[in-house]
Amino acid sequence: MNTHIPPVDFGRRMLVLRRRRIAVRLQWRSVVVCAVLAVVIAGAAVLALMTGSYALGPGQVLAALTGRETGIVHDIVVEWRLPRVAAALMFGAALGVSGAVFQSLLRNPLADPGIVGFSQGSYTGALIVILVVNGSYAQLVGGALLGGMVTAVAVYVLAYRRGVQGFRLIIVGIGVSAMLGSLNTWLILKADLDQAMSAAAWGVGSLNGVSWNQVAIGGACIAGLLLLAGVLGRPMRQLELGDDAAASQGVRVSPARLGLILVGVALTATVTAASGPIAFISLVAPQIGRRLTRTAGITLAPAAFVGALLCLVSDYLAQHIAPTPLPVGIITVILGGGYLGYLLFTEARRRL
Amino acid sequence: MPRPRRRLLGLLVVLVVLAVLLMLSVMIGSTAIAPSVVWDALFHSSADTDQFAIRDFRLPRTVVGLVVGAALGLSGALIQALTRNPLADPGVLGVHAGASFAVTVAVGLLGVRDVQGYMWFAFAGALIVTLLVLAFGSTRQGSSPVVMVLAGVCVGAVLGGFREALQLTDPDAFDAMRNWNAGSIAGRPLEVVWPVLPFFAVALVLAFVVSGPLNALALGDELAVAQGVRLVRTRVLAVIALTLLAGGATAIAGPIGFVGLMVPHVARWIVGPDQRWIFAYSALLAPSLLLVSDILGRVVTRPGEIPVGIVTAFVGAPVLVALVRRKKSSGL
Amino acid sequence: MSNTPLLRRGATLAAALMSASLVLTACGSDGDDTGDKAATAHSDKPAETRSVTAENGTVKVPAAPRRVVTIGNTGLPFIDLGGKPVGVTEASDSDLDVLPKEQRTAYEAAEIIGSSGGEVDLEKLAALKPDLILVQFSSKDWDKVGKRLEAIAPTVSWGLDTEWKAFADAIAEVGNVADALSRQKTAFKEKVAKIQATYGKIIDTTSFVDVSRGNWNDPGTFYIADIGCSEIARDDIGLDLPKAAEGKDPLAYASLPFEQIRGLSKYDVITYPVDADGVPTKPFKPVVETNTWKALPAVKSGRALGLFCPGNNSYGPVNRYLDSLDSALATLSGKQ
Repeated sequence: MNTHIPPVDFGRRMLVLRRRRIAVRLQWRSVVVCAVLAVVIAGAAVLALMTGSYALGPGQVLAALTGRETGIVHDIVVEWRLPRVAAALMFGAALGVSGAVFQSLLRNPLADPGIVGFSQGSYTGALIVILVVNGSYAQLVGGALLGGMVTAVAVYVLAYRRGVQGFRLIIVGIGVSAMLGSLNTWLILKADLDQAMSAAAWGVGSLNGVSWNQVAIGGACIAGLLLLAGVLGRPMRQLELGDDAAASQGVRVSPARLGLILVGVALTATVTAASGPIAFISLVAPQIGRRLTRTAGITLAPAAFVGALLCLVSDYLAQHIAPTPLPVGIITVILGGGYLGYLLFTEARRRL
Repeated sequence: MPRPRRRLLGLLVVLVVLAVLLMLSVMIGSTAIAPSVVWDALFHSSADTDQFAIRDFRLPRTVVGLVVGAALGLSGALIQALTRNPLADPGVLGVHAGASFAVTVAVGLLGVRDVQGYMWFAFAGALIVTLLVLAFGSTRQGSSPVVMVLAGVCVGAVLGGFREALQLTDPDAFDAMRNWNAGSIAGRPLEVVWPVLPFFAVALVLAFVVSGPLNALALGDELAVAQGVRLVRTRVLAVIALTLLAGGATAIAGPIGFVGLMVPHVARWIVGPDQRWIFAYSALLAPSLLLVSDILGRVVTRPGEIPVGIVTAFVGAPVLVALVRRKKSSGL
Repeated sequence: MSNTPLLRRGATLAAALMSASLVLTACGSDGDDTGDKAATAHSDKPAETRSVTAENGTVKVPAAPRRVVTIGNTGLPFIDLGGKPVGVTEASDSDLDVLPKEQRTAYEAAEIIGSSGGEVDLEKLAALKPDLILVQFSSKDWDKVGKRLEAIAPTVSWGLDTEWKAFADAIAEVGNVADALSRQKTAFKEKVAKIQATYGKIIDTTSFVDVSRGNWNDPGTFYIADIGCSEIARDDIGLDLPKAAEGKDPLAYASLPFEQIRGLSKYDVITYPVDADGVPTKPFKPVVETNTWKALPAVKSGRALGLFCPGNNSYGPVNRYLDSLDSALATLSGKQ
């Protein structure tokens, strides 16, 4: 597909990596931004491992990490803190990429996997399991995934009419999401207070109690999907120019779009299954990434890095900022929204 | 049929439908009351218990539905015209987020517990946050709708986060906010409506003033300026109008989400791109949607009730989906 | 569970397993109960343990726990029984407001380790070095953090649907506060017997309805209470109160519009919630203010009675409710 791209002068300094027949064209600024983000992420990860409400010295943490501690100290560092950090990084990256895919695809800065109703659908599924069935955590995960998938498929099918058009998908998605949102509000309204609060806490997404099991399974899924997103994401730039323009450049529009939608939804689904729908990362990470790298369109790698950092920092703050721990989704919203707002503000001032 | 006549005829039909719904809203409730009693309650009032039910509950509820519905419809039409974004509803500019946040603070930190108390917090929250968004999304040259919408989402999200934090750590506030978040027109005395009416009147005048310039704006900023439209003034007036409308409606009824989003779409499909007609149709169609939803909410789970904010989406969304599938539609 | 040393199962004890998951057994570790509690209290290994069976299986707990952490709804019932937890999850202001002073002091003396069940600061909890954790929250929260709680200290967990009397028995047993429980139970039985003896005729011949309105109720709606305190009035006292059909949701789950206040006229006596001072509770006030309410025969004839229900999850608040019911019924008997 590479051969169809006409040579373009990008007007920026490019970094071209070649190895046999694969060539990756990278913008210098994107590379630098991603590298800086990676360093900050590493620093935040170390901080998250070292600190917690159970006071441990750096020596103890290191000892635990190298397997020289047993009992509760080992549990805290290796079984509690470490998987939580790993989960925050992976889930954040997954959400960032998933949002980037949707925003690029639908050419709308407000788009995220919520557009096809996935978030509301999975919340409905989870609420039914928690409030109606009073089910276990495994059932909750199953219910959430089922709800999300069924909703996404329903939205896609309802929007399908000789192909799927972006605008129609958005409108159908809004309609279906609104219905499910109402249903969710009603379920919460009818429920016992304890159950309702527990359900609402799930609904904002929390990394409390994340285990190695979830990290391993979720991580494998996310790694595969990110790879797939990288491959499928190549026609994204052309699709952003419009369906006709993309088709004239040799992109098979419908299959490409369907593939990207599936990957985007699957990424969100994986995170939702493990931690609940962590809000807002998929919406703001691509926007922040785009503004940091100053690219014209949405790109995947910066979105992934921003998403990971946002999720990690948010989870750290969620555990330490309030007298009692909060679900991470609350902080991602405040932090992500606040930072994007700041970027918009400075952007608006720059254009004077 | 030529378009202007069709539009007028359509308007008549919409008016008749609304009138019928207003009547039904007084007649139908979760208990059976004979039409003769309803008649007497309205025109020959006495201290009869059945008449209390009509005068104290059904009548105010119907009036609230009419006023809130019209305000929501018109504010939705305004914001979609302003932003040229089919995703936009008054919630996008932070109206609901602001109102919700202010009410949560009132409930959680100040211990306010009744509708009259919520009202002014909600109204103030909606106004302040929308102005904040407006300031955020503007430059000296004017305001870009896209930036404004993004700013609205950001401010809304940040406030939403604080609200959730307050609610999830305070079971009492969570409990009290559950119902406010659903959005309802029941149980509001008419005293809640009167103070908001002057604001609505101002907004109505403003909406009328900006409808012409907004028509020109639909063609793009450059063309609009070429036609003598003053961009900043139009946008500021439109935002003030829609904030008063959506803020007032939210103050009375809580966040009712779907009406302001969907009704202008339907209106546009009926009357075409002329904003003046879209405004008129939206202001009449929205209360109809709200009243139908409210009546349904009273009867489907008898003897219980479902708040109208929950029913609107179930009534409206299928219509919206059907329309978007049928019509050859485009952005705006 | 193999890597959780505190949970090593004592092989010698064969706990009598109960058929119902809620039922809980305790068997003293043979004989030497009266021994050297004080001497062993500071040693790492609790000398005396016993096995109890709850929803998370059979758990070995210290016979005399000294550092108890309560999570979810176990906090206030434990404190009501005279327990002094070292860590609690946050209780709501509305619950705290009606707490007796010494119980409130006990609550405030404890470290807050989380706001709701699922969001517990596990590290803070571990740092408190508890020797017993009592838990009541939703099963999904248990699935998330249960294993970790068990890694910190012996943990006993109950589901949200545990019946309150069984719950009080269980907490008293596990938390080693059974004396307080038996005092409260005696008081409860006496109060019930006194009400039944004094107002036997009213109870037999009068139809009651308990109405209420919660903060969660939509404006303009109320509900007929058939759970909570009125369940006690119906099932323990024997008042003739409406009840949901078998297998149906409780009546309290349906929000009734104010229009249906009219329908209350078919009952002889209406009871409604008031606060400790006898004033209608804040959420219920809108109902009292409607013309329809004021026009009800029961209201006009003074047969609408305010009842104070400070809680229905342990004997302490229930006993206070019974006192309120007693004095409310007394005003009725004057009218007979």
